[in-house]
Amino acid sequence: MCGSLWMRASYAPSALKLMTRTLTWKFLLRDWRSGELSILLMALVLAVCVVVGISGFVSRLQVALLSESARFLAADAVIVSRTELPEAWTNEAERLGLKTSASLGFPSMAVADIERMTLVSVKAVSAGYPLKGNLQWSVDPYGAVQSDGAIPLPGQIWLAPRLFSLLEVTSGETITVGERQLTISGAVRGEPDATTAVFGFGPRLLMHVADIPSTGVVQPGSRVEYRLLLGGEADVIGAFLEWLTPQLGQGQRVDSVTTSQPRIGDTLDRAQGFLLLAGSLAVVLATAAILLASRRFGERHTQYVAILKSLGAQSQEISRLYGSFLLVLGCLAILLGCTVGWAIQVGFIWALGSLLPTTPGPAGWEPLMMGAVTALVCLLFFAWPPLSRLADASPLHVLRAEVDIARMQRVRDLVLGGAAVVGLMWWYSGSAMVTFAVVAGLMVVTLLGMMIGRTLLAGGHSFGGFAGSIWRVALAGLQRRRRANSLQMVIFAIAIMLMLMLTVVRSSLISQWQAQLPPDVPNHFLLNLAPEQRGQLQTFFAQRDLQTETLYPMTRGRVMELNGAALPRWEEAETETAPRQREANFTWSDTQPAGNQLTAGEWWPADATEAWVSVEEGFARDIGASLGDQLTLRIGADSFTVAVRNIRRVDWQSMRPNFFMVFPRSVLAAYPGMYMTSFLLTPDRKNLLNELVRELPTVTVIELDIVIKEMRAVVDQVARALELVLGVILLAGALVLVAGVQSSLDGRLREAALLRALGASRGLLLGTLWIEFLVLGGLAGGLAGVGAEAATYALQTRVFDMTWTPTPLMWWLGPVIGAVVVGCLGVWSCRHVVRTPPVVLLRET
Amino acid sequence: MIKVNQLLKTVSTADGDLDILRGIDLEIAAGTSAAIVGASGSGKSTLLGLLAGMDVASGGEIMLDGEQLGNLDEDQRARVRAEKVGFVFQSFQLLPALTARENVMLPLELSGRKDAGDVANRLLGEVGLAGRLDHYPTTLSGGEQQRVAIARAFVSEPKILFADEPTGNLDTRTGERIIDLLFRLNAGAGTTLVLVTHDERLARRCDVRFAMDAGELRSLGA
Repeated sequence: MCGSLWMRASYAPSALKLMTRTLTWKFLLRDWRSGELSILLMALVLAVCVVVGISGFVSRLQVALLSESARFLAADAVIVSRTELPEAWTNEAERLGLKTSASLGFPSMAVADIERMTLVSVKAVSAGYPLKGNLQWSVDPYGAVQSDGAIPLPGQIWLAPRLFSLLEVTSGETITVGERQLTISGAVRGEPDATTAVFGFGPRLLMHVADIPSTGVVQPGSRVEYRLLLGGEADVIGAFLEWLTPQLGQGQRVDSVTTSQPRIGDTLDRAQGFLLLAGSLAVVLATAAILLASRRFGERHTQYVAILKSLGAQSQEISRLYGSFLLVLGCLAILLGCTVGWAIQVGFIWALGSLLPTTPGPAGWEPLMMGAVTALVCLLFFAWPPLSRLADASPLHVLRAEVDIARMQRVRDLVLGGAAVVGLMWWYSGSAMVTFAVVAGLMVVTLLGMMIGRTLLAGGHSFGGFAGSIWRVALAGLQRRRRANSLQMVIFAIAIMLMLMLTVVRSSLISQWQAQLPPDVPNHFLLNLAPEQRGQLQTFFAQRDLQTETLYPMTRGRVMELNGAALPRWEEAETETAPRQREANFTWSDTQPAGNQLTAGEWWPADATEAWVSVEEGFARDIGASLGDQLTLRIGADSFTVAVRNIRRVDWQSMRPNFFMVFPRSVLAAYPGMYMTSFLLTPDRKNLLNELVRELPTVTVIELDIVIKEMRAVVDQVARALELVLGVILLAGALVLVAGVQSSLDGRLREAALLRALGASRGLLLGTLWIEFLVLGGLAGGLAGVGAEAATYALQTRVFDMTWTPTPLMWWLGPVIGAVVVGCLGVWSCRHVVRTPPVVLLRET
Repeated sequence: MIKVNQLLKTVSTADGDLDILRGIDLEIAAGTSAAIVGASGSGKSTLLGLLAGMDVASGGEIMLDGEQLGNLDEDQRARVRAEKVGFVFQSFQLLPALTARENVMLPLELSGRKDAGDVANRLLGEVGLAGRLDHYPTTLSGGEQQRVAIARAFVSEPKILFADEPTGNLDTRTGERIIDLLFRLNAGAGTTLVLVTHDERLARRCDVRFAMDAGELRSLGA
């Protein structure tokens, strides 16, 4: 006999390693050729592919949404100040390599001549504006829109389109602002920061910052907002803001989209949460695919190892062989998965093209790393344990087939693997709550699945005993493969649960966003309407068929004392959070305002005459007031005292008039104030504003139509992104279902072949398969419904800050989807059984 | 070559301990062929598994070509198998993912032989399968599969060949051809052959015969 491997092993370990490597490659190639290898490799590639594809796609969408949010600021960050900004700040920003652009805004009068003048909101910008997004303009008020990076040149101005008709001017004419005559050279058609840089209530007048000194409008004490726009890498901006923040004085702040436009910030935050959730689910789905595939691989290779051992292979060599095997397989899967996953996300972006909400950003390396780590973790915790135990397989298997399939995957492996997946999800989502919510759902599904496995599937046999032969065969099959079926059912349930959960969260997010901005939401506010003008306004609206909301009385007043003690003025307060005087618009109401929620105390009866007040909770915090406190207020020259009757929470994101202080009607009766209201004006009727301002020259109109339009655009874009990601996850889920069905194929094929050999008809076999898969799918779907409800509850209440409502649809949709999808997939996968002669099947199995 | 002394095998069942082998004594000289016959469930295959070092005895001693198997762990017994033992199984035990040629090459590859392919070709030629080298087991008949298994058993030139019901899955005529082949190769290689069978005709071709009955072995002579 020639020198054997085992003898030489003790003398030449390097030769042994070399041999093992050679054998590994041979085995890999042989398994690949026979199709055996493809089971695990495909699952691994699928896992890496799903993670890289989805996380890459999600990353690119995230970058796009982040840059979209920067567009609302016209910059990555903005320093806002009521006083002129120190030049040193700009210098420091530029020294760090940041792009800067200064702008300032203030309300002023635009004068065409003595007859034609109006209050405008002036914005003066400098070269480089905007740093993010586009400034849109046209030569004529409603002419072709241009977006070529131009801004008004010194000496020129651009006007909001309706100012042209209001002032009866055309391009080329001049307008006086302060002491300076400026030439009209265009119309402002769109500003990226229209929603965040609002200076006063009038229509926009855009000019160059170089002309400001010559207007003489900006004097010490003027109501001017200075803005320093910053653009650059997030870490550089972070470093600059770290340097700057301690130097910020009173009336100076750093703006982000979250603080300056909370609704858009909130929408983007939730969208990001959803995308991260989707990515985490991709990890779970990928893991499920690996778990199934490695289990099947392990089962199929037990006999393989027994033969190798009967031929003299040692445990250590088997371990080394399969270890190398997995390592090669893992590297191959990472390479293929990353390539295919990357191509998938590029393909998505390319195929979806115009459907994409914004221009997608770069994906970076993280998705590839995520895919690689997922593959390694899956291999280590799911694929390796059953394969490592192959080394312990007794060679006696070659004499007596006694493969213990159930022990291929042990509880300890699943617990360790589960912990690893939780770690991956946490790493990927960066949110303990997202991870917790998904894990809670998974736990519910797993525990219930195990219980069902132990009871229902076990009892199937006795039930089947009373049923017809198809049912008896089918239920006996379910009972016989109880353990494997339980695992398969749990995997099906997890895939369906994740799909249901994501669908529900996506639907509720979108419907909540849409509910906040219904089509008829008022988009203009009207202030400073004198009591005697109410009739005139109502006639104006009635003649033009316009609907208005309620007219709210409004009086400006100030909180002076709390429980008899004088409150300090704003600038006298010791700290930022110390109680202080505050000025606010007061109104009266007999009833609790719609959309307001009492957090303490109670509302007063309609005929109340007591000196009471209802205070908004944030305002109460600012002045240090709580329920029952006495507040001394001043309106004009008069002072009076009221008791805090209740504290209210106000939805500031609703487009309704909201007030800090609300009184019983009798309290404010003696203080005649002005009125305010809101109304909806469609873009085609925008010029009615000019008529309104001419007819009621003292009223002020706040135009929120652009803000609402932008918000709607964001919601639409984000909703579309969510739809796309949901589609990708559904696809991944479907692939896991296919893998799940495939995992049980060997045993089923063997049994079906035997039954056919014993004379079972195709009808009986098909019926049996249908029943088995329908029952499994239906049970899995039911479980999925329960798990999805649990996870959705946790997600909606803890992650998305939404109100949870049960989704009864899931409770019946889950079982139906499960039964139909798993049933069809299962029978389709086993179609081979009824088409191929039994003798061929028996030989193959 | 093989010496067994008071071999015991007991397994635990739900109804208590079950004695499968009850004090077996056996001696087979080098180069001879021995048949162990007996009804199904008599303990033949259990004895074969123990003799080949694939299972651990509950008591007694097995000496295989000078190696005391009871003193060896699983890996050491694997080394003994690799060096000294060949197998032919009732259910062939070919790896379905490998071709006939690759199945035969496997033991040589495990021992690091560079000429595994050539040797496998030669042996498959000897068993009459030169034209089936690249066929997978599922495309071969039962007789052809068993011939591949025999080629694989002899390829590493073992000192001892264990055959577990080698004709059990074959028809009479094919079985006879396989037996002819087995004995021809065995004679050529001078291998010690231990056959487990319930086929009396096959047993009669062996130099010595033993009968297994309810876990006890008795010699039937030459």
